[in-house]
Amino acid sequence: MKKIVILWCAIIGLSGCEKDDICDANTPTTPRLVIEFYDNLTAVPTLKNVVNLGIIAPDIASGIGFNAVSKIYVPLKINSEATVFYFIQNGANTTTTDDNIDVLTFNYSTKSLYVSRACGFKTNFNLTSTNPIVKTDSPSGDGFWIQSIQIVKSEINNEKDIHVKIFF
Amino acid sequence: MLKYFFSTVITLVMLATSAQEKKKDSLLPKTERYGIRVGIDAVKLVNSFIEKDYKGIELVGDYRLTKRYYLAAELGNENKTVQDNHLDFTTKGTFLKAGFDYNLYENWAGMRNLVTVGMRYGASTFSQNLNSFTTYNSNQYFAAARPTLYNQKFDGLNAQWVEVVLGIKAEILNNIFLGFSFRMNRLITNSKPDNFDNLYIPGFNRTYEGNFGAGFNYTISYFVPFYKTTTSAKLKVKKP
Repeated sequence: MKKIVILWCAIIGLSGCEKDDICDANTPTTPRLVIEFYDNLTAVPTLKNVVNLGIIAPDIASGIGFNAVSKIYVPLKINSEATVFYFIQNGANTTTTDDNIDVLTFNYSTKSLYVSRACGFKTNFNLTSTNPIVKTDSPSGDGFWIQSIQIVKSEINNEKDIHVKIFF
Repeated sequence: MLKYFFSTVITLVMLATSAQEKKKDSLLPKTERYGIRVGIDAVKLVNSFIEKDYKGIELVGDYRLTKRYYLAAELGNENKTVQDNHLDFTTKGTFLKAGFDYNLYENWAGMRNLVTVGMRYGASTFSQNLNSFTTYNSNQYFAAARPTLYNQKFDGLNAQWVEVVLGIKAEILNNIFLGFSFRMNRLITNSKPDNFDNLYIPGFNRTYEGNFGAGFNYTISYFVPFYKTTTSAKLKVKKP
């Protein structure tokens, strides 16, 4: 009888740890848009690293810099159905004279999905079938550095897939 | 909170055993009383008053079948609002648990205390109302997500589970018992709301991953005797 009581208390004690109250970093939650960069000049698609690519949303003070990578992760607004980013070639360094700004508008629908007690809900995105990504030039008229954009997967529900390919 | 449970358990055990000491040498014929015991869970009652987000009641009862076996049941209703970091929901519903208790305790003449192990089959019908939630976004580039007003109700949900119960009941006054029980629960089935989950089930309590749960109650109950049986005291020779 005594042993049963001790065992019981041990089980109760362990179950009190409540490890499922902390959202595990490995749990897939709200995904970012995954973009891969390709060389526009090669006949066979070849990955091409960006050099000091800076992306910044017009209403946010600071941007995100990428250098020597061919794959980038872009956050999308969860409370909106469009997110605008300035994709600035050579923008992630201090010299501004060589910058070239292309404005990309991502249009999508959102869906809230339950994850768990610890993580709450996540938002998945679905790029719209018409005008999923609209490319416009910056007001300064410096021309386009992005040659073409290809949607690989319009459903954005994880960060393992490549959603968009950009050729430059 | 947990230390209060244990202190009460210890008190009850002491109460039961100290009372036993006095009558140790008694060789009076043993009278076993049979009847029904009805009571109420004090934890749910007290929490209904002190917790803003909780209303609940649980009635308990058992019927003595044989010397050691008791039919046991609990019937209750709960209304609980949980506000976690990312979720705010309200669960409302009714539950019924039925099963048996087996008394392990060998009482001395005149004593009617119980130390029991038992099992229950539990069932609950309930609704979940998802009041609000926040979207988890590990990327903080854009402002952190605000709580999204949702207020969606999921009706007609149900769940079934089994419980293993360890309990103790001590007679503190004539026919009045103070009891305490600990339960380990295992969920068998539950109908989950679409795009949400049953994070709390009336009677089962908080759900954990792996379908396990736990519960406890403190009961005050009254025993209504129906009939008595008398067995003459036998001297048992203990084997070494």
